[in-house]
Amino acid sequence: MMTQILNRLLISIPVLFGVLLLGFGLLILVPGDPAIVLAGPTATPDVVAAIREEMGLDEPVLVQFFKYLGRVVQGDLGRSLISNKTVISELLAAIGPTAELMFACLIWSIPLGIGMGTLAAVYRGSLIDRAIMAISVAGVSLPIFFICLMLIHFVGVQWRLLPFIGRGGPLWSVDGLRHIALPALSLGAIFIGPVARMTRSSVLEVLKLDHVRTARAKGLSELRVILRHGLRNALIPVVTLIGLQAGYLLGGAVVTESIFSYPGVGRLAVGAILSSDFPLAQGAILILALGFILINMIVDILYALLDPRVQQ
Amino acid sequence: MKRLLTTTAILLTAGIAQAAEITIVREVDSNNYDPHKSTARGASEVLFMMGDTLVSLAPDMQTIEAGIAESWEVSEDGKTYTFKIRDDVTFCDGKKLTAEDVAYSVNRWIDPETKSPVGWRAGEVESVTALDDTTVEYKLTAPFSELLYQLTQSFGTIIDKENVEALGADFGVTGFNGTGPFCWGEWTPRDKMILTKHEAYTWGAPFHSNTGPASMDKITWQIVPEENTRTVAVITGQSEVTQYVPYIALEQLKATPGVEVVQSDLAFWTYFMGFKIDKETVSDPAVRTAINLAVNQEAMAEDLFFGVVQPAYSYVSQEALDWNRDLDDKLLKYDPEKANQILDDAGWVRGDDGVRSKDGVRLAPTAYVFAGSTWGKISEAVQAYLREIGVDMQIEAYDATVAWGKLATQEFDMFGMSFPYVSSGDALNLYFRSENMPTPNRMNWNDPKTDELLLAGATALTDEKRSSSYGEVLEIVHDAAVWLPLYHEPMVIAQSDKLETIVPHNIYGSGLYKGLDLKFKE
Repeated sequence: MMTQILNRLLISIPVLFGVLLLGFGLLILVPGDPAIVLAGPTATPDVVAAIREEMGLDEPVLVQFFKYLGRVVQGDLGRSLISNKTVISELLAAIGPTAELMFACLIWSIPLGIGMGTLAAVYRGSLIDRAIMAISVAGVSLPIFFICLMLIHFVGVQWRLLPFIGRGGPLWSVDGLRHIALPALSLGAIFIGPVARMTRSSVLEVLKLDHVRTARAKGLSELRVILRHGLRNALIPVVTLIGLQAGYLLGGAVVTESIFSYPGVGRLAVGAILSSDFPLAQGAILILALGFILINMIVDILYALLDPRVQQ
Repeated sequence: MKRLLTTTAILLTAGIAQAAEITIVREVDSNNYDPHKSTARGASEVLFMMGDTLVSLAPDMQTIEAGIAESWEVSEDGKTYTFKIRDDVTFCDGKKLTAEDVAYSVNRWIDPETKSPVGWRAGEVESVTALDDTTVEYKLTAPFSELLYQLTQSFGTIIDKENVEALGADFGVTGFNGTGPFCWGEWTPRDKMILTKHEAYTWGAPFHSNTGPASMDKITWQIVPEENTRTVAVITGQSEVTQYVPYIALEQLKATPGVEVVQSDLAFWTYFMGFKIDKETVSDPAVRTAINLAVNQEAMAEDLFFGVVQPAYSYVSQEALDWNRDLDDKLLKYDPEKANQILDDAGWVRGDDGVRSKDGVRLAPTAYVFAGSTWGKISEAVQAYLREIGVDMQIEAYDATVAWGKLATQEFDMFGMSFPYVSSGDALNLYFRSENMPTPNRMNWNDPKTDELLLAGATALTDEKRSSSYGEVLEIVHDAAVWLPLYHEPMVIAQSDKLETIVPHNIYGSGLYKGLDLKFKE
C-alpha cells in the first residue's frame, strides 16, 4: 500500500510541473497587461512603463517562468499584483470556504445519489426507477448556473427562505449553514445524477452474480442481500466515479461561488484571471490542480481498500 | 421596586438594541485602498468614507465647500494657496490631524517614487509645507484653476504618515488610518470591505444633512459580480443599497414594495466614441460631422437604457462647470438627411454595396470597444445608424484587461470610452492636451490653439478667464467633431425604504460620497 502511495506521489511531481508550465503559459498567452489595468485609463505610457518594470513584467518570459518556479519550490507563490497580499495568505483564506462547500455538497448528495441508484436498481423498470432516472438525467443535463439561478429565484426571492450572498460564517454556525445551503444544493444537484446512474447499473450487475443468488438461497432477507452483498460490491466503480466527479466539482465550484458571491478558491481564480493578477491566478490554478490530484489519490487508495485485487 | 424594574428594562432594551448596520452590494472591488495608487471607482467609493479631503464638493458639482480646511486664501498670482486646517480633526486611532499630515499627504501624492497615475491632478507643485499646526502653504509653479476641484477627489485624501510608514507596501491593503466618518474594519479582497463608525467624527461638510458622527455603526461593502444577484439582493433585503443594478431591472425595483429608486438630476459620467483624427477613414471633418448627425442618441437612451440616461450631444454635461452655453444651439443632433448630404457634398460616393468611398478609401472605420453588454449594444446601435449613411463601422470588442492596452495603440479609427469628471476643465485637460497622446488623448488631437487655451484655462486667475478659455476649447473640438457623444449617465441608486432617501452624489461615480446621509428612518 505504501509503495502505491509513494508511486502516486512521484507521478504527481511531473503533473504538477505540467500544471505550473501550463498555468504560466496560458496567462502569458492571454492578451492583457496588468500594468495597464493597474495604471488606469488616464495613465500616460511612462507611468505604465514604470509600473511594468516594478512588477518585473518587462523581463523575458522564460526568465519570469524560472524565477517563478524557483520561488514555488521554496513555497513562495509571490504576492498578488492587485492586493499586494501574499498569494499563500489569499489562498489559505479561500481554501477553507471551498473545502466547507465541497463537504456540504458531498455530505448530502453522495448518500442520496447512492440511495436513489439502489432504489432504481431494485425497482428496475417501475415508475420509481423511471422517476429517479429522469431526475438524474435532469441533474446531468442542466447547466449549474441555471440550477443556481432557479434556487435563488425560488428559495431566495419567492419564498425568502435562505440567503444567497456570501458566506455567513463557519460551517458549524447557524448563519454559516444558512448561507452555504443554496451553493451546496446547487453543486450537489449536478453530482447526484451521475452517482445515481452509476449505482443503479452497478447494483444491477452485482445482483445478477452468483454470490447474491447464494445469499438469497441461504435465506437472507432481501434488504440484507441488497445492502451487504449487492451494494457493498457495487460501490467500487461508484467510488471511482465519486472521485472523478468530486474533481469536477472544483470546476462547478467556480461557477457556483461566482453566482453566490461565495469567497472560495473558484471565485478567487476567476477574479484573479479577470484582473490579470498573474501570481494569484497561477496560485489558484495550482491549488485547484493539487485538489484534483489529491482527490484522485484518495480515490486510488480507497479503491485498493475496497478491492484487494487492485493491490496485487 | 417599580422604578428599579423600569430602569432595568430600559437598560436591557438599550443593551439588545440592534446596531445600525447595512450591506451595500457592488460589482467589483478595488485593487487597493491607497488613494495615490488606485484609480478605481471602487477605491474612491470607500476612500471618501474612510478619509477626508482638504475641500469638499457639494452635490451641485460646482460649489466648493470646507473639508479638512475650514478656509483658504489664494494669492493674487494664483500660485499660492494657504489653507487653514481645522484643529478638531482626529484620525480613527485618536491621533490629532495637523497641517504636517496634510503636507505629507500631498508630497507623497506627487512624489515620483509613489508612481501615482494621478499625480498630475495635484497641479505643478513647487512645495507644500506646514507653516504651523493649522496652516498649510500650497505653492505652485504655475496657477492651476482646477486645483480646488481636484483636491475634492479621493486622490487628495489626507493620510497618516505613521500609518503609511508602519504598513509599507501593505498601506491600504491591511489597514488605513483616516479621518473620515468611517474607519477601516476588515478587507477581504474581492469579497467584502467592512467599515465601522468613527465615533469622534463631527466635521462633515455643511451640505450634508448630518455633519457627524455617522448614523450607521457598520457598513459592509459586499462584492457581488452577478447583476441579477445584486438586484434580487436589494429586493429581498439582503442589501440595503446599491448603485449597480441593470437599467432593465429599475422598473421592477420601483414596483417592489420596500425598495426605492433615487436618481440624480445631474449626470457627470459621459459615454462617447472618439475618432482617431489622423486616420484616413475619419480624418475628413465632413465624415465625423455626418457620423454625429447620423446617430439618434435620444432613441438609444430610450430603447437601450429605458430612458434612464440622458442623450448626449455635448462632450461634458451641459450642467458642468464652464460649459459653453453658446454651444447649446449648435450641438449636432439626429438628422440623417443632412448627414447624407454632407457626405455627398464632400465627395464620398456610395458603392454597389451601399458603402461610401473616396479616393480609394472605403468608409469602413474600425472601432475598438469594451466587451460586455453595455458597449455591445451601444456599438451595434451606432453601427446600424451609420449603415444608413453608407458608413460600414467594424466593431472589435475587447475584454477590459486587454482593451486598455489596445486603446494605447494606433490600430483603430474609432473607440468607445466613458469617464467621470468634476468640471469641463477636468475633462478637457485630460483628453485634449497634445502631450497626452497616445493616451488618454487617443484621438491624436494635436492643436496648438487648444493647448494654448487649455493652458490659459488651467492657469486662469479669474473664473471668467477660466470659463472663457475652456468654453473656446469646447467650441473648437465640437466644431471639429472629434467625438461622437452618446449619453450622460446619472447616478441611480436602489435603496431600502427603511432608509432615509439618499441624495445621490456624482463625484467620481461614488453616489454615496461620505455615507453621512445613510440613516434608518425613525
